[in-house]
Order: sequence, then C-alpha cells, then structure tokens
Amino acid sequence: MTTKTQKTKAKAKSHSKRRREAMPDRPIPGAAADLEPSSRPGVPMEMEAQPLAGARAPIEPQHADVPVFKHAGRKQMPPVFGTAQPPKGLSGVLRKVAYGYPDHWARHWMVLLVADRVDVWEHRLRRSLPWGPATVAALVAGGLTWRRLSRA
Amino acid sequence: MRALTYQGPYRVEVENKPDPRIEHPQDVILKVTRAAICGSDLHLLHGLVPDTRVGCTFGHEFTGEVVETGREVSQLKKGDRVVVPFNISCGTCFYCQRGLTGNCENSNPASDVASGVFGYSHTTGGFDGGQAEYVRVPFADVGPMKIPDDMDDESVLFLSDIFPTGYQGAEMGEIKGGETVVVFGAGPVGLFTMKSAWLMGAGRVVAVDHVPERLAFAAHYAKVETVNFKEVDDVVLHLKDMFDGRGPDVCVDAVGMEAEGSRAHRVLGLGLKMEAGAPTVLTWCINTVRKGGNVSIVGVYGPPWNFIPIGTAMNKGLTLRMNQCNVRRYMPRLLEHIRSGRVDAKAIITHRFSLEQAPEAYHLFAQKRDGCIKCVLAPHGHA
Repeated sequence: MTTKTQKTKAKAKSHSKRRREAMPDRPIPGAAADLEPSSRPGVPMEMEAQPLAGARAPIEPQHADVPVFKHAGRKQMPPVFGTAQPPKGLSGVLRKVAYGYPDHWARHWMVLLVADRVDVWEHRLRRSLPWGPATVAALVAGGLTWRRLSRA
Repeated sequence: MRALTYQGPYRVEVENKPDPRIEHPQDVILKVTRAAICGSDLHLLHGLVPDTRVGCTFGHEFTGEVVETGREVSQLKKGDRVVVPFNISCGTCFYCQRGLTGNCENSNPASDVASGVFGYSHTTGGFDGGQAEYVRVPFADVGPMKIPDDMDDESVLFLSDIFPTGYQGAEMGEIKGGETVVVFGAGPVGLFTMKSAWLMGAGRVVAVDHVPERLAFAAHYAKVETVNFKEVDDVVLHLKDMFDGRGPDVCVDAVGMEAEGSRAHRVLGLGLKMEAGAPTVLTWCINTVRKGGNVSIVGVYGPPWNFIPIGTAMNKGLTLRMNQCNVRRYMPRLLEHIRSGRVDAKAIITHRFSLEQAPEAYHLFAQKRDGCIKCVLAPHGHA
C-alpha cells in the first residue's frame, strides 16, 4: 500500500512528465531562449534601488504659464508635467472641481467624465459660432423675401 | 505643425497646432518618423478614458529624429534617431530606481494611477502624443533608446510599447517551462505575448478571439492553436476541456476594457458607464485558469472600478499580476530578439498611412476591417 507521500511524488513525477511531453518541437525560432528567468528583463520585478542610466538629480522644477491641476491626494506638483490643452470654460471649472478630490474617490472620475462631455459641446458651439450670425442673417433675409413675394 | 486631434467620442481630425517647445531642461523635441495606432488609443477615441480633452493629440508608440535638445540633455544630440517608451520616467524616483518606470511618480500630477504617458489624456499627465509631425519628449536621457544605424525605424517601432507589453504579459505568467498558456486577444499585444510565451518555454499556447482574420494571423505568425469564442457554446468550459478539464496554467488578458462576449458588461460598462468598460476577458481568465494558476493582465482598464469575480480568484488560489509595462528595462533584450530574427516585429504591420489619413486609419483599425492588425503613420512620408 502506497503512502500519501509516495502518491504525491508519483503525481508530481507524472505532472512533470506531462510537462516535458507538452514541450513543443521548437514552434518558433529561438523557442525557450528566455527559459532561464534571469534572462528575462523584468525578473525580479523590483530591482535593487539605483538611479537609471542617464538620470539626473535633483530635477529642476518645470514652470508653466497655463493652469495645470494636481489631484487633491498629491502633496506637490511633480517636477515635470504636460501643459497641453489647458482647462477653459465650463469644462475647465468642472475639471477644477474634480481635481479637488483625491483620485481614489469615485466622484473625482465621475466629474471628469461629465467635464469631458461638456468640453465636446463647448467645442462644437465655439466651432459653430462663426456660422451663427450668417445663418441668422440668411434666415431673416429669406423670411423677408418670402413675405414680399407672398404679398405680391 | 500638423497633428491628429481628438474632437469628441469617435471623432478625430488632423489640424494645425503650435509646434511643441522645450519646457524643461531635460526635454528634447523629436521630428516624428513613425507613429503607430495602439489598441488602447481606441479607448481614448471612444471616450472611455476620463479627462480626454478636445484637441488632445494621441500617440504613445513612435520613433523620431532629435531636432532640438534642452540644456541638461547630454546623451542625445540633433540628428539622433530614437525609439521612445510610452512611459515618461524620471529615472530617479522611488519606483524608477527599482525598475518600475511605468509607475514613475515624477511625471503625472493628475493621478497616482500611472506615470506620465504620451498622448493618453490628462489622467496620465496631459502630454501630447506622437501622432503629429513633432513631439516633446521629457527626461530624454532616461527613456529614449538610440536606434542602431543598421536598423530601420519600423523594425524597432514596437519596442515603444506593444512588444515589451506583450513580453511582460507572458513574464508575469511566471512560465518555468512546459506550461499551458491561453492568451485572450489576438491583437498586436496578444501576438507578442504568444511569441514571448514560446521564448520563455511554454508548452502549449492558445489564442482566443472572435475575429477570424486575427486568429488566422496568430496561427501563422505565432504558431498557436486558436479558439473563436463565438463558435463555441461556453468559452470557459471549452478551454477547461482543452486542458484536462482543469484549465490552463496561465491566462493572459490582452484585451482590456472594450471586450466583446458579454452583453451585460457592455451595457453596464460601455453604455451606462457604471463600471470602467467591459471586464469580460478578465472574468473569463479568472474562471478559466486552473486552481493555483496565474492570471496576467496587460489589457487596459480605466478607473474607478469593475465588476469581476474576485471571490472566485481567492477561492481558486490564483495569482493575479498586472502593471503598465516598464518599457525601458525591456528594450535591450527585445532588441536582441529582433536583431537575431527570433521575432520579426514589423511583420504585424498590415496598413501604412500618411498623417493626413490618420482618421481613416483609426476607423479601419477600430472596426478591424480589411484584415487590419496594426496601422502605422508616417508624418513626414514613408521613406
């Protein structure tokens, strides 16, 4: 009668055999080239702490001439950030409200999603503005012409 | 300059924008030579990533030529050709020092969720991306890698994101040799995950998708078995049956938040925005993988939450690993794989466009028409 340990060993052996059998016959060139975990760039996940090649410290803080938000859970601005599409209009106000909440609060994200939709409508309105007066003028002119023609 | 710009959900245009300028002494300005459209750009296009502002230029996979350098830049000079990681990483913070450049804390004021990323909304720092004629690249001595003189830009373009991301996806599966691996998603990242699983010694690799052309491409390019989930009754049971009724050792989610396959998740996540997209594939991964197995997530999910069966994961004793890819540390090794011919990265490019044709490219890619796997833009023409 086999003991539990023997059974476990036999099972492990069969499992390992199954694995060997499953190894393909080089399905792609270089198969198993990175079988050894130490050849994999992400192993171990956290490396021994040291600055990366080319890194320069201390990092001079970036200056911006447009408003840039940081979320309320962050103590200070990072030294580098993007300045593209600064906030403006009602969407900008909403975004300012959103960044007043830390980013682990759902309302931070929900207000941002609302701001995104408002941004799109603001943009469409701004784009259509140059056409607005022309459209009104055309409608008025058309109306007057119609009235004259219908009187004649 | 000319640049692709976001105009609202499902709408992008190419228009004139001011040229980028040096805003920090460690910046460079690149003349973009190639810019790819990534599957995760589609999440932006579809309005699923919060704080995607009208006018934002997408693009986080690009190569370029240095045309201007900040006063503290010492490793790059005008004329150098570089491939740029999608993460913007300082190289000195707590995370960068440990190799976690995708978690850099010095490049994104808007959120602690991720580091700065090029062209990926203000949630990742508000940087414009590379689907433009020119782009600002911060921390230029840390991230960008010079392209060897004997290699063309397209050969190394995917070192910017999808090849390292796919590789990290397989690596987080902790393959030790002979494991069975199921990769959900036969898009560009999934393809590189499959290749990488073989490189790490996987015993069997299966691709799951619903687009026949993509599955056929995966079978040919990555030499994998394929399953079309729309052609089986229950994909979880089908996959379990393929692996002794237990399921595979490793499942990789290379799809993310816009997965097909569950009407409920699509209505809740994509329609009603009650969760951040549709986590159908992640749910499948958790339900499919064998007990004690590994689930690796490289598909992108947005904040703030998703409905996933975490209790099942706990009871099955699963290991869940995930992260944005720490691209910089993967570049040298993966360059070797490309150079040696083990991985022909540019073979996945199916469509090439000029910058002016970018909106057409987006729609083709989003609808997976014409056998599209990967679109590449050439803002200054295809040389």
